[in-house]
Amino acid sequence: MVRGDRGPLSLTRRVLGFVALAVGTSLLISAALILAAVERHFAEQDLAELGVAHAAIAQALAEERTGNGLAAVLSNAISGHHGVYFQVEDAQGRFVYRSPGPDLSAAAGAFPAIASVRPQDLEIQRVDGRALVGVEGRALAKSGDFRVVIAMDAEFHQGFLGAFRRSLALIMLGTGAATLAAAWFGIHQGHEPLRHLSRSMRQIRAGRLSLRLDPQSLPAELRELAASFNDMIGRLELGFERLSHFSSDIAHELRTPLTSLTTQTQVMLSRARSAQEYREMLYSSLEELERLTKMVADMLWLAKSDNALIELERTDLDLQREIEELFEFFEALAADRNVSLTVSGSAPPIRADRGLIRRALSNLLSNALRYTPSGETVQVHLSREAGGVKVAVVNPGDPIPQEHLPKLFERFYRVDPARQRDGEGVGLGLSIVKSIAESHGGRVDVASHGGWTEFSFTVPVD
Amino acid sequence: MRLLIVEDDRRTGDYLRQGLAEAGFTVMLARNGLDGHHLAVSETFDLVIMDVMLPDVDGWRVVRALRDAGKQVPVLFLTARDRVEDRVKGLELGGDDYLVKPFAFAELLARVRTLLRRGAAPVMADRLQVADLCLDLPRRRATRAGKRIALSQKEFALLELLVRHQGEVLPRSLIASQVWDMNFDSDSNVIDVAIRRLRAKIDDDFEPKLIHTVRGMGYRLDAEEADGAG
Repeated sequence: MVRGDRGPLSLTRRVLGFVALAVGTSLLISAALILAAVERHFAEQDLAELGVAHAAIAQALAEERTGNGLAAVLSNAISGHHGVYFQVEDAQGRFVYRSPGPDLSAAAGAFPAIASVRPQDLEIQRVDGRALVGVEGRALAKSGDFRVVIAMDAEFHQGFLGAFRRSLALIMLGTGAATLAAAWFGIHQGHEPLRHLSRSMRQIRAGRLSLRLDPQSLPAELRELAASFNDMIGRLELGFERLSHFSSDIAHELRTPLTSLTTQTQVMLSRARSAQEYREMLYSSLEELERLTKMVADMLWLAKSDNALIELERTDLDLQREIEELFEFFEALAADRNVSLTVSGSAPPIRADRGLIRRALSNLLSNALRYTPSGETVQVHLSREAGGVKVAVVNPGDPIPQEHLPKLFERFYRVDPARQRDGEGVGLGLSIVKSIAESHGGRVDVASHGGWTEFSFTVPVD
Repeated sequence: MRLLIVEDDRRTGDYLRQGLAEAGFTVMLARNGLDGHHLAVSETFDLVIMDVMLPDVDGWRVVRALRDAGKQVPVLFLTARDRVEDRVKGLELGGDDYLVKPFAFAELLARVRTLLRRGAAPVMADRLQVADLCLDLPRRRATRAGKRIALSQKEFALLELLVRHQGEVLPRSLIASQVWDMNFDSDSNVIDVAIRRLRAKIDDDFEPKLIHTVRGMGYRLDAEEADGAG
């Protein structure tokens, strides 16, 4: 569209180029055929006339006259043919007669023999400044053969042909231009749905991502494009929604502790207090600030993970060993809650980032420990699945209502909003597990029924 | 021990200086890269704490200039950005450690002490003792007031860490990393529970109490109650 733009040719130009080529070629071919037909027609006419003249001359010669008698007969022989010239020689090459007009001896030998001539053999020869077509023939008489050269003026036909060529060229040019204009108009009209599509797309912006194109209002060729575009906008809308929810969640998560910090500080400062009270307040602020720090760190980590900025340091990892070491880490906590930890099953080594896998499994374990009743067991089960190696962390406890399951891995999602602030994490633990699984090309799943909840983590084996 | 802090943020710089001075170090503070470089070259320090993002010359360049000038002083980098390439750059330049903002002061203090200890000959004692608590390292046995205390492997490792850093506040993240090799902030209060259980074995039946909670910072093992902070 834009001149000087180095992109591919515009569709209009492309199609017009092809149309011009096709129309030009076909017009040129028809012009050539028409011209050839006309020329051939004239040549046939010329040849027929030359043939008639030759026959008349031959007949005159057959009357065997001599001298003035012969000349009179010959001059009469072609009296009906305007613009026809001839000359006659006897067998010995002696000049017998020549009609008034150009001297045909100059063109001797240049004309084809009438006995074998075809229309296309007739060629224009310049004789005495005239354009002539002619033939050579023989005329039989008792006294011997005569050689006859007959020619006729080609000027008239040439003039006509010239004019015909010019008008033919004009007609062709006109037809070509008209066809191209029509083609351009057609293409332009044909592209109207594209412009319509583009206008519709322009309506869609950040605040109006719910708008969709209507494929039914478009020609068949564009429906698929519109459908793909709708799909893309759908995905964008989802991502955008998630992002804006995340932002508002962040704002909310930050606002609550900030409000409490501000209020607490203002209240403390409103009158003089003991050193002990100030110290208490500073401790409490510090705890809140640490929570905020952890939340910011987790959110930054998730943001980096979203942008694929986490670089995995993959090593060969024996999951059994990792789980045993994690059990050692959680040993005190589990004992404190009177919960046992067991591991079963086996899995081949995987290539994964040790620190991240530990972090993910640690989040799953602390989550399971939090919801397991005293005296029960958290089971970790390793297995080889089609999708890779699966680590399932299973704990007994109240089932999680089905409607929450798909959302558990979302950021800041909590089954019970009231529990928001008394728990230990900041509501990002499971999102981090999901990001870690996905950064390894794996996935997370959750199922809850029959008094058991299972969170699993699958990582592909290469 | 003389420390040099190069930090342009006024509040952070002031509090770092105050905190480290109160922890017993002699502290100099430079608020930009040129002053920092000048001080580091003209005076002798045991450790430089270097902010990476400085208004005039960035921390990397200051440290490179120091190394070029033949100064082998250990450097602890502080940065707001945690990117792998930064980390690699810091280590290539002979930075000795790397701390991402925001960090806990207790964490910084622990790292500073570790870096300062690095050079010094490690204590190769077989026995560690604090008050009447005694650790027999080769046999992994602990006794208090002559009584044998049964500890799990990790409980012993935790106690050993606390004893080796006697008198220092150890942040939870450092404990998790040193004892269990878990280098992330856990979602749960694992460390608190582990300390509580250790304390039940070490301190409950004995006096004086050795393991102290330093609120908002971490844990400290000491024979004496610290001034007001515990």
